[in-house]
Amino acid sequence: MSDAHRTESQSANPLGWIDGSLVSLCLASILVVFIGGLVQVSLGAFSMSLAEAWQAVFDPAVVSNPSVWVSLLLGGALPDLAKQTLVVWTIRVPRVFVAILVGANLAVSGAIFQAITRNELASPFILGVSSGAGLAILLTLVVFSGLSAFLPILAALGGATAFAIVYAIAWKNGTSPVRLVLAGVVVGTVFQSLQTGLFFFADDLGVVQSALAWTTGSLTGTDWEQVRTALPWSILAIFLALAGSRQLNVLLLGEQTARSLGMSIEKVRFALAGVAVLAAAASIAVAGIVGFVGLVVPHLVRNIVGSDYKRLILGCVFAGPALMVVADVGARLLLSPSQLPVGVVTGLVGGPYFLYLMRKQQQLGEV
Amino acid sequence: MMSGMESERDAAADGQTDEARTGTSEEVAMAAPDAAASESDVTRASSETESALVGDKLALSYPTSDGPVVECDRIDIPRGEVTALVGPNGSGKSTLLKSLAKQLSPDEGHVYLDGQKLSEYDDGAFARELGLLSQEHDSPGSITVEKLVSHGRYPHRGFFEQLGEDDRQAIDRAIDLAGVEHLRDRQVSSLSGGQRQLVWIAMVLAQDTDVLLLDEPTTYLDLHHQLRVLETVRQLNEERGVTVAVVLHDIAQAARFADYLIAMQDGSVYDWGPPTDVVTEELLADVFRVDATVTYTPDPSILPNRSL
Repeated sequence: MSDAHRTESQSANPLGWIDGSLVSLCLASILVVFIGGLVQVSLGAFSMSLAEAWQAVFDPAVVSNPSVWVSLLLGGALPDLAKQTLVVWTIRVPRVFVAILVGANLAVSGAIFQAITRNELASPFILGVSSGAGLAILLTLVVFSGLSAFLPILAALGGATAFAIVYAIAWKNGTSPVRLVLAGVVVGTVFQSLQTGLFFFADDLGVVQSALAWTTGSLTGTDWEQVRTALPWSILAIFLALAGSRQLNVLLLGEQTARSLGMSIEKVRFALAGVAVLAAAASIAVAGIVGFVGLVVPHLVRNIVGSDYKRLILGCVFAGPALMVVADVGARLLLSPSQLPVGVVTGLVGGPYFLYLMRKQQQLGEV
Repeated sequence: MMSGMESERDAAADGQTDEARTGTSEEVAMAAPDAAASESDVTRASSETESALVGDKLALSYPTSDGPVVECDRIDIPRGEVTALVGPNGSGKSTLLKSLAKQLSPDEGHVYLDGQKLSEYDDGAFARELGLLSQEHDSPGSITVEKLVSHGRYPHRGFFEQLGEDDRQAIDRAIDLAGVEHLRDRQVSSLSGGQRQLVWIAMVLAQDTDVLLLDEPTTYLDLHHQLRVLETVRQLNEERGVTVAVVLHDIAQAARFADYLIAMQDGSVYDWGPPTDVVTEELLADVFRVDATVTYTPDPSILPNRSL
């Protein structure tokens, strides 16, 4: 009897974990990204008609020419292209790609932190990452302005450093989800105050605006350079997250069960948190601190595909970009012609969505 | 059916107990694993009472407690037998079980599994030898029974390893043994408390260990599911020779079910042995503060009269 059962059971098939809801979610997300991307590439200072813009997107001189892709992704000289094609592919398309990477990274990072802290309200920034990055941004812009070329890397490093401090504070013969979150609050509060304090020393409006754009998250002016910065880390982080999904699933069974199953909890938790910080840092380095994506997307995906982390992570890799691309279109259109930081839009969308969840779900907060 | 098997077993236990109980403290000390050289002699001398798990001069505490919660010189979980830890609330039985399961490292003393200190096992290797069912467990929002049970294979799988044929067999066997085949594709969150407990037991069974520790597996279950849980554990013990230590709330149930009892009081061991020896009116008065009548038929059966 059990043999008969086994042949139809999910575990017999290596891809059996991909079910209908996950496939629909991914396809819907791709569609949203595609439409959002088309809208995004139609907008900009260089005037061209919709038809021209879309033709440029599908210009075979780029799409079907591997050498162009190589020079876009690895940097290098581009061959001669039509003017529209050049504008679309070097200025507008990369912004969509950056949005995709940022969305995927933040969503995956948030999903991991939610498992580690056993709290559905956790975000990529819960363990001090955002305040550390924010402080590093302000320090760079206001105090060490000579280093501003390294701002993206310094921001990511600031986030990672704050995370390390949080871990050190939380450690006392091991950590616990609650201690980690509390330590995150401690470090976040102090760093946030320092960051706010530094604003007073900013002597011109340009610096303040630049600092605000970085600390709320913005995709304005992103280029293939940002794609090149984020892409390798994103691939690595997503791969590690998928590989670690079984560990995350076992962590969800509770610390005691995980330990009795032979998991070295502290090691696994630290390693997974490291993956999540890597993903968050990759997105901070190219877009600054975009809030709410990492909080809302894992939530949304969990509602659709359930709490299995393999499905959840894969769902986040697709749904995160969808939210981010749409939000960025909003950031561009809401107060057109001037552009909002995309973080403002994600906050505006994420807040009400969360309110809706709060009203609808009885057990919000439990993973 | 159960009682028939039990009385036979009890008779066997009786025979061996006399040896064990008359054994002097030196003999017990010799069985301690640090005397590894004389291990084979010990095994020959008292093969019936060879211990799978030994706690030696234990002092246990929690970070939040002042002073030790449990202090005990010596505790043995005999190999291939079912041992029940009993005692009133707060007597330290769950704490003791946690230290035996490597969930709580002792302030003093050591716990030995198969003669090796627990602190010397790495986490994975230990989880292949000993399984623990905790008192409380969280299950994630949505997970099927089969998936939950498959997590029992965690210690047997490498980081990138898929479920192999062995794993699937172990999962099927565990589901079968726990009698939850019909629930296999259900969501754990949709099950009743009793069904859920059986599913969690199936998960620990899939771990396929020689030693199994259970912390109050029957508390809050209806009588049917209490018996289902105990029968599953008993079957595992009889068919696969698994050593079982179980914390039970109900001394009457423990007396009927276990081969050995460890009665705990205020963080130390009050008495140890087969139920017929341990369960007495005196024990019930001293440890449980209950005035009760105990009749032996030959299993002890307890009729509580009033609280003391």
